[in-house]
Amino acid sequence: MNAIDFILAGMLGAATPFLLAALGELVAERAGVLNLGVEGLMAFGAVLAFIIVYHGGGHFLGFVAAGLGSAVLSLVFAVVALGFRANQVATGLAIGILGQGLSALFGKTYESLTVKGLPKLAFPWLSEIPVLGSLFIQDIVVWLSLAATLALWGMFAYTKTGLVVRAVGENPKAAHAIGYSVTSVRVFAIAFGGAMAGFAGAYAAVVYTPLWADGMIAGRGWIAIALVVFGTWLTGRIFLGACLFGAVSLMGLAAQATGLDVPSQLLSSLPYLVTIIVLGIISADRRLLKLNGVASLGEPFER
Amino acid sequence: MLKNLTRRTLMKGVAVSSLASALGGRSALAADDPLGITLVLPSPVGDVGWGHALAAGLEPVKAAYGDKVKVTVLENIAEGPDADRIMNKTVADGNKFLVAGSFGYQNGALQIARRDPSVTVLHASGFQVAPNFSPFAAKYFQGTYLLGMAAAALSKTGKLGSVSAFAIPELITSINAFTLGAQTVKPDIEVSVVWVNSWFDPAKEQEAAKALMAQGCDVIFSNAQDTPSVIAACEEAGVYAFNLNSSMKKYAPKTYLGCVATDWSPFFKASVDAHFAGTFKGANTFLGVADKVVEVVDWNPDIPAEMMTKIKEIEAKIADGSFSPFTGQITKADGSEGVAAGATLADGEIVAMDWHVKGVATPLPK
Repeated sequence: MNAIDFILAGMLGAATPFLLAALGELVAERAGVLNLGVEGLMAFGAVLAFIIVYHGGGHFLGFVAAGLGSAVLSLVFAVVALGFRANQVATGLAIGILGQGLSALFGKTYESLTVKGLPKLAFPWLSEIPVLGSLFIQDIVVWLSLAATLALWGMFAYTKTGLVVRAVGENPKAAHAIGYSVTSVRVFAIAFGGAMAGFAGAYAAVVYTPLWADGMIAGRGWIAIALVVFGTWLTGRIFLGACLFGAVSLMGLAAQATGLDVPSQLLSSLPYLVTIIVLGIISADRRLLKLNGVASLGEPFER
Repeated sequence: MLKNLTRRTLMKGVAVSSLASALGGRSALAADDPLGITLVLPSPVGDVGWGHALAAGLEPVKAAYGDKVKVTVLENIAEGPDADRIMNKTVADGNKFLVAGSFGYQNGALQIARRDPSVTVLHASGFQVAPNFSPFAAKYFQGTYLLGMAAAALSKTGKLGSVSAFAIPELITSINAFTLGAQTVKPDIEVSVVWVNSWFDPAKEQEAAKALMAQGCDVIFSNAQDTPSVIAACEEAGVYAFNLNSSMKKYAPKTYLGCVATDWSPFFKASVDAHFAGTFKGANTFLGVADKVVEVVDWNPDIPAEMMTKIKEIEAKIADGSFSPFTGQITKADGSEGVAAGATLADGEIVAMDWHVKGVATPLPK
């Protein structure tokens, strides 16, 4: 195994927490809701999944609990932000802090315990390819995340549901006028975003690094939010951004391990720099950015 | 003017009220009240790790003094203004013995010590000293030297790795001694270091360990990680690993090489004794095997018996002071002379070490 193998094999796994959380945030933002609580929702999902798996409930149940738990927590956000039309930025931050606090509280007695991760599944035929093969040996959650990416892309591109979500985000008044319930679409979008953040946290705590440590999400929720913006609210770009981020952060570590004479601080900041630069270049076309940006993002809806 | 006046009046009010509370609170500070001991930690207290080791070090103090001490542990306190505020609060609440468990608490804790001479402060990994303020650190390097010998005996690839938090002297000396110990067994062995530039990011630490394994490292030194992320990943990959502070053997029953454990209780106990006796004197305390603060435990049975005998010999020499890992001749990674032949680095030079020894293959970040 060399550095290339290491990056190819680890890239998708490293990207998965970002990808799942960012896809959830994408749906919420496309519906016009800015939920900044992703970090806390991830932490909350992570601790729920860990507790279930630790007590022998299995990974499937762990993910279900994480998704449900974080969705419920995000509904608290929905009640305050949509029901009371509170400022979404402030509410999101508050829910995020609440989620982190709850995760610390629930996780107190589980601090630094470990569980078993998930086995890697080889994609038939593709995993036999020389060099690139290790890219296709991943755990089931990675494969499901890729499927979810495709499904969301298809939903936004081809389905009525996707169009309704977009309409609600672009022009809630018009969507309302033609008979769609803006609030219920947004509630569903928020809950979906919450569930995805929960899955992302669960992946971090019971698959990727199968252990619980308070604060283990370590800023990944914020990166997910940034990926949505830099990916200009397009599913494909968000996927690319997440993979790029994962790959470059592994590259930094691999470069250090090989003894490359580059300051490690620079290598540590490289994922952020490269992702911003690359996505910045892709979205240099301001017209395109305006076209994809969500018009009513963060604005409360008044009938 | 009005603003000034208000502020002054307010200050007066505060002064009066604090005076009142000082007078009224006198009984609260009577001699038979327990000594409040507060331990402030940057990370959560788990079953393992740095915070665990410090908290465990206070247990014998509790056992010895019973009702006469009251220990409070404040965990997960971020370095910076938040820590300063919390430390001030706990001292204002009457806790007269403060253990500041992170380098970054230094300035805030030192201010507290200077302001109130009746408070005793112990500060982890720092360098500032005051009459009632002692920095303390462990000579981890004495243990990592021994583990370096064991690692070299077990390594098949001749490549060792270290996942390290930040490039500060404490961690650098641990890596250097590890390398020097390994070189006594296999002179051309190489050590690669990945700096994760974070005290706490289990996922990144694990990725770093895997990056080192991908380079062929078959023994990994988890340098200053509080979670078992690296150790658990090594067990899964069948690679030997060891760490500092407290044993993580349960996370790697097969490939756990050993632990450079720290037992702070002799130091804490002596400091509390001195506080009660009124004889506490702030000093730079650098404690190792001889002080029974550093001890390597949970040696892996895979280590060949003759190597184990050798390790025990060196350990005894370190304990009685007849040997130091940093005894020349030592060459720096850049080829220049680090320690002259026959010379031994003094503690003061060790705590300020900012260079790698020859054999560390990766560059040291500036």
